[in-house]
Order: sequence, then C-alpha cells, then structure tokens
Amino acid sequence: MSIEKGRISGSQLLFMFAGFVQGSALLVDFTIGITEQQSWMVILAGLVMMVPFILSYAALAKRFHGKNLVQINDMVYGRFLGKVLSLYYIFFLSMTLSFNILDVGELYKNFLMPDTPFIFLLAVFAAACAYAVAKGIEVLARVSHLFVITGIFVIVSTFILLIDQMDFSNFLPLFELPLIRIIQGIHILSAIPYGETLVFFMIMGRLNNTERAAGYALGGLLIGAMNLLAVSVRNTAVLGRTQSIWTSASFQSIRLIDIGTVLTRMDFLIGIAQTILIFFKCSLFFYALATALSQLFGLKSYLPLILPLAGIEVILAATVFQSPVDHAVITQNAGIIYSSPLIYVFPPLTLLIAKIRSLPGHERGGGT
Amino acid sequence: MREKTGVIITAMLLCVFMVFALSGCLGGREINDLEIVIGMGVDKDEKTGDILLTAQIVNEDASGRTQGSSGGGEGKAYWNVSSTGESIFEAVRKLTHKTGNRLFVSHNQVVIFGNDIAAEGLQKYIDFFLRAHEMRPTVLILVAEGRASDIMDAKPETEKFPAMNIAKLVKTYGYTSHLYKVNMKDFASCQMSAETASFAPLITVSEEEGSKDVFVPGMAVFKNGKMVGKLNHDEVRGVLWVLGKVKSGVITVPSPDGGGKAILEIIEAKSKATPEIKDSKIIIHVMVEVELSLSEQTTAENLATVPAFGKIQDASEEVVRKEIMAAFKKTSELKADIFGFSEMLHKKYSKEWKSMKDNWDDIYPTIELDIDVASRVVTTNLLRNPASPKEGEK
Amino acid sequence: MIFLLLIYALIFAVTAPGLIKRKEWREFAAFLVMYAIAFGLGLMYVLDIPIPSPMKGLQYLISDKLGLKYPQK
Repeated sequence: MSIEKGRISGSQLLFMFAGFVQGSALLVDFTIGITEQQSWMVILAGLVMMVPFILSYAALAKRFHGKNLVQINDMVYGRFLGKVLSLYYIFFLSMTLSFNILDVGELYKNFLMPDTPFIFLLAVFAAACAYAVAKGIEVLARVSHLFVITGIFVIVSTFILLIDQMDFSNFLPLFELPLIRIIQGIHILSAIPYGETLVFFMIMGRLNNTERAAGYALGGLLIGAMNLLAVSVRNTAVLGRTQSIWTSASFQSIRLIDIGTVLTRMDFLIGIAQTILIFFKCSLFFYALATALSQLFGLKSYLPLILPLAGIEVILAATVFQSPVDHAVITQNAGIIYSSPLIYVFPPLTLLIAKIRSLPGHERGGGT
Repeated sequence: MREKTGVIITAMLLCVFMVFALSGCLGGREINDLEIVIGMGVDKDEKTGDILLTAQIVNEDASGRTQGSSGGGEGKAYWNVSSTGESIFEAVRKLTHKTGNRLFVSHNQVVIFGNDIAAEGLQKYIDFFLRAHEMRPTVLILVAEGRASDIMDAKPETEKFPAMNIAKLVKTYGYTSHLYKVNMKDFASCQMSAETASFAPLITVSEEEGSKDVFVPGMAVFKNGKMVGKLNHDEVRGVLWVLGKVKSGVITVPSPDGGGKAILEIIEAKSKATPEIKDSKIIIHVMVEVELSLSEQTTAENLATVPAFGKIQDASEEVVRKEIMAAFKKTSELKADIFGFSEMLHKKYSKEWKSMKDNWDDIYPTIELDIDVASRVVTTNLLRNPASPKEGEK
Repeated sequence: MIFLLLIYALIFAVTAPGLIKRKEWREFAAFLVMYAIAFGLGLMYVLDIPIPSPMKGLQYLISDKLGLKYPQK
C-alpha cells in the first residue's frame, strides 16, 4: 500500500540530498564556536564518518523496495516494537523540523526583519512548506536541482568576491584545540547536517530504481558537504580570530564584501539562498513527518495531516527554547545525544536483523 | 454547486489572511523618516564623564539644493548632532531627543574616537559597533588628536560631507602608504589577541589662513585597547613594509654623485616575514621586494646608467631598512607587537609560543630582525636623460 | 487571537469537507486528533500558558540525570 503515487528518479535523489545538506550551511556557524579554525576538518571528518551509515540507509531502501521506514520497522521488529521505533523516529522528525523552522525565524529576526512578530514569520514559512508538501514529493524532486544550483552559485560567488580579504594563515595552528572539542564538533556535524538525512528514509521508498541508490545518495551528500566546507573555509579565511564571536559568521563575512563601491551589502544574498534551502529542507521534513504519521495510523493519504502538523510545528518552534543560550547548549549536548541511536544504531541494526531473518522474503508483514 | 461556493469562500478567506501575513515586514521605514548617519564620533563629556556621541547626519534638503546664490546663506549638507549617555547605545537612543527619528547607521563610513577615550581604552566602547545589527564591520575606525566632534565639524573643500572626506582620506592610503585603513573587524581581531597591538589612523585639523583642513599625521598604537603611543609616517610605512601592505609611495635617496636627489615611486612591494627560533632567540626574517620607478631627479647627472641604478637601489634598500627598524624601535619602546610577530610564532611554533605568550611584553623588544631588501628600478618614465647640458659641453 | 481562530477555521474548512464527503472516516479521525492538538497548543500560546518543552525534558534526563554531556567551554 502506498500513501503516495509519486515516483522519483535516482538523479533527483542526488539533488535532493545535496540541497538538503546545503540547507544546513548556517548550522555550520554553530560549531565555529566550538571548533574555531579547525571547523573544516570536522566537516570532512563528519562526512567520512557518515558514509557507512548512509550506505546502510541505502541498503535498507534497496532491500525493502518501495517501502518506507514505518513499514520496514513493522516488518523487521514486529508490530509492537516496530511502532515504538517509528514513534521515536517521528519524535525526532518533529523536533528537528521545529528546530529548522526556528532557524529560519531566527535568521529573519536577527538580521533581516527584526521588527516583525516572530510567530508570523514562522507561520508563513510553515504555510509555504505545507503547500509544497501537499503537491507531493515528485514536485519537490523535480525542482531540487534548481535549489542546489542556487546554493552553489551563492557559495561560489561569495567565495570569489571575498578572495582578496582571505588570509589562509588563519587556519594555523592546525591542531591546537583539545580533542574533546573536535569530537564534539564531529558529533554535532554528523548528527545535524548529515544525520538529518534520516528524512530520506521516508523518501527512498519512492525511488523507481533502487539499484544505484547508494551511489546517488553519497554523491548528493558529497556535493552538500563540499558546500559546507566552502562556507567554513570562507568564514575562517576571512574572519580569522573573530569568527567565534559573531552570532552568524557567514553573515558577517558577506557583509565585508566591498568591491568598487557597487558590490556592497550583499547579505541579502545569503538571506535569500538560505531561506530557499531551508524551505526545501523543511518541506522534506514535513513530507517525511506526514507520511510517517499517516503510515502509522494506517491512513490512505497523508494530505489531511499536513496543516495541523504545520500548526503544531510552528508552536513548537516558538516555544521549545527559551533563549538563544538554551538553544545552543541543548542542541550541542542533549540534542545530539538523544538522536544518536536513531542515526547510528538502528539503521545498521535493522539491516542486520533483516539479513538474518532474510526479510523481505515473504510478502506478509513482520511479526514472529 | 455547494462545493464550488465552499471553495470560493475558502479561497477568499485565504487571500484575506495572506494580505495580513505577506504584506512585507513591519520593520519597514520610509526614506524620509530615516536619519542617515555617515559618521560617528565618540568623546568623553567633560562635565559628567559620560560618553558624548556625535552623529553626522545627512541633511537631505540642503544637499540637493542647486548652487543659486554665490557666497553665504547656503545650508550645510550635513548636521552634527550630539547627545550624552552612559553607554553608546544609550547615547544613540537619546539622540532621538533631538532628531525625532531613529538613526539609520547602515551607511556609516567612519567612527572617530576622541583622544581621551582612546587613552582610556577602547574595549569598553567598541562592543556596540560590533554587536548592533545595522552596523557594518567595514566601518573605518580613526582616532582624533583632540576631540572627535571638532574633526567632524571641519568642512572639506571638495566634498560635501566631512565624514565622507575622512573616509576617502583613509581609503586612499595607498598613494603614500603613510597610513593604513583599519576597519572594525580588523580592530576587533587585533583586540582579541592579547599580545598583538593594533593601530588606527590619527586624524587632526590644521588651521591655515582660516580654512580648516583635516589630515592624517600618523597612526595611534593600541595595546589591549588603550592608546599607548603614536607612529609617524615613516614608522607606519616601516610596519607596512613588513606586513606587505605597502601599495605605493615616495622614496627619496641622495643621487650617486652627491649633487642632488633621486626621487623614486614605489610601484609594487611584496614582503614575507618568517619567524625562526634559534638557540632560544627569536629571529624574524623579513624579505622585501620593491619595484621602483624614477619619478623625479634634482641633479643634472644622468641616472639611467647601470652603476647609477645600482647605487640608487642600494640607497633605497637602506631607506626601507631604516623605516622598518624605526618602526621596530618605536614599538619596542611601547612594548607593542604591532607586526603580529606573536601570532606568527603562534602559528608556526605553537608549543614554544605557549610558554612565551605571558612574557611577550618583555620578549618582544629582544627579537632580532633579519631584514633583506631587494629593490629594482624598472622604469624612468618619460625621460631617458634629464634636461641638462650634455657631457663635454659644460 | 483573532488570527488563531481565523487560521484554524481556515484549516478546518479546507480539509474537513473533502474528508467527510468521501466518507474517509479514519483519515478524518486522525485529522481531528492532530487538529485538536494543534489548536490546543495554539490556544495555550495565545493565552500565554507556558508550554512544556520536550527538549528541556530531554536535557534534564540526558544531561543532568545521566550526565552525558560535553564539557562547557
């Protein structure tokens, strides 16, 4: 039984992965406070670390062709445990979605439109996402390459425009920070930009050909990671020592662009690009959340749930953290710890159990 | 039919809602409600000890007026308004007591700190300029030799606004390389390193025959945000040689035959500074490469010969060396590491640096500079020989 | 407040008639449940009733009780 009729192709999956990871470009600013000039290492290390896990996600999608995560969980763990696991997953999705919506709201509140009431920003944004999701995953997949190209264009152009202000000696000394901070940085990066690709568990079921799913997924991940790397390198080279004091290092480095007297005040550029990319990210999250919930409830279509979900997420986004300090501390500690089993443990475990039990051998669902 | 009406009603409700939600941000401000600030000055108010903030605001009506009558009666294109407060942010807001509209600081070109504030220490005062969301990190920072409010009042001859004039003065440092452009971000960066000293251009007003001119006499040196001394033009250029930031300028050397001077223009300058620790002594190897052009000569001798060029090049290398040593000597007296040698050591010898950084004030003057300058005269411009009687005809 | 009611009326108007007409009761039930939660949360927000934050709870459990956290800078 499929909740949705849409089908996506392999290359669309690639672009979706890329656009999704690109949307986390401003999240990289989060870790700069912890890893300072070694952020680029952490991005690469996180990428390398995630490769086996992404492979396991793709392997699961390939094994259980056409099925989404909730169905897989039911089949592998039995009806009760499977549903519990799916609830855990749904909780993660809804929390992370609210964080992302919150990020967009904060972007606008801090830099672009500081006087507009916060909840309105969130509501409008969520409404746009809801609309996109109602159209179906196929539509999102079809435009994904546009988002990716926009993202790449902005990163490359800001990089080039800032080249004369870059000082590459800012990356030295290379190994100064204590290891625990690097580890925390790697943990944060693999859990947030890369780990959020758990979303794709609900989407890979829609692939029309899962043969090379792993290749496409990794390719997209790589493109997205290169984007993050470029952002981090640009910020470190331009801002040097000051990068850890700004609320958003990316913003400040773009504000420094001052070529001739014409190319100044480019910070709107990053505002636009980020909004577009986070919109894409949130739409995917919404899609995953709606489909997962409707699968759990055994519904025929996920459409009716979208709007109430949007309402819940907006309120969550507005109330979940009381202050930016809370936001930072919780995300860097409890936030990544509670999601770790979901990202690192369960997918390989599910794969293993499926292999042992030779699922899906029979068309019947799980259960002992 | 009923469904259709339902859809229409829903669509209309949706449109109404969207009008509220999408009609732009509430932070929008009309242009004529803006007080566009192009320069800010921070002084200490003599009476209360509070901060005296002077903001130079564009006066739109006056600046657009065409030159009707000759001579007086013309309104100033700018308005210097000031207010006091215990903090910069408070002073900014209190300015609305006089202006009525909130200041719009995104176009701010310069921030000038008065002499007394600079001597007290800028750490207390720069936070607002970094944190405020309308401020840009590209704002130039300067120190006034007297009070900032006086500097901002000096009406320039060829520019409408003093602040723009000052900004231009600093941005065109490349013509002489006797000063350097420092923006907020650079200053904050130097501030964040406890061992490195930062500098900012000084600005002062000179009164000659009734007209006030602003000019930059040198740079102020800051240690931990406090102004500790000044560098004159040559010393500043000495620092810039090492940092590789010299763009152009004039070097004057005596001509080889002693009959006059050869004046050279710097076309391009490159430098590289590498630290080395040898026998627990710090040596900084500075390598400078300069390309010069013969721009003027006061002697009748023809300098466009190989031996003459050689002598001129040697003399100019000596000048560069002297400027660098002068800068080092002055900053050693001030115990201010303006070259950033401590950071260079940090990047290359991070282990040794950890033990050195606490005594850096004492270690800095003991650094040995190994200066190696290579200069080349690449062109003599439009004259091959000077306009003087030929040899043999004298 | 008015916006809240307006928006939620809108949401209901957009989704409910379709569901009822097509007699999709299961979907309608799920929709009502989510709608009730969303509306309830929205109401709490507008009336300034503090909404318990799940992340705070998680942080309490994980960081304070289990002590699993990274050293603060």
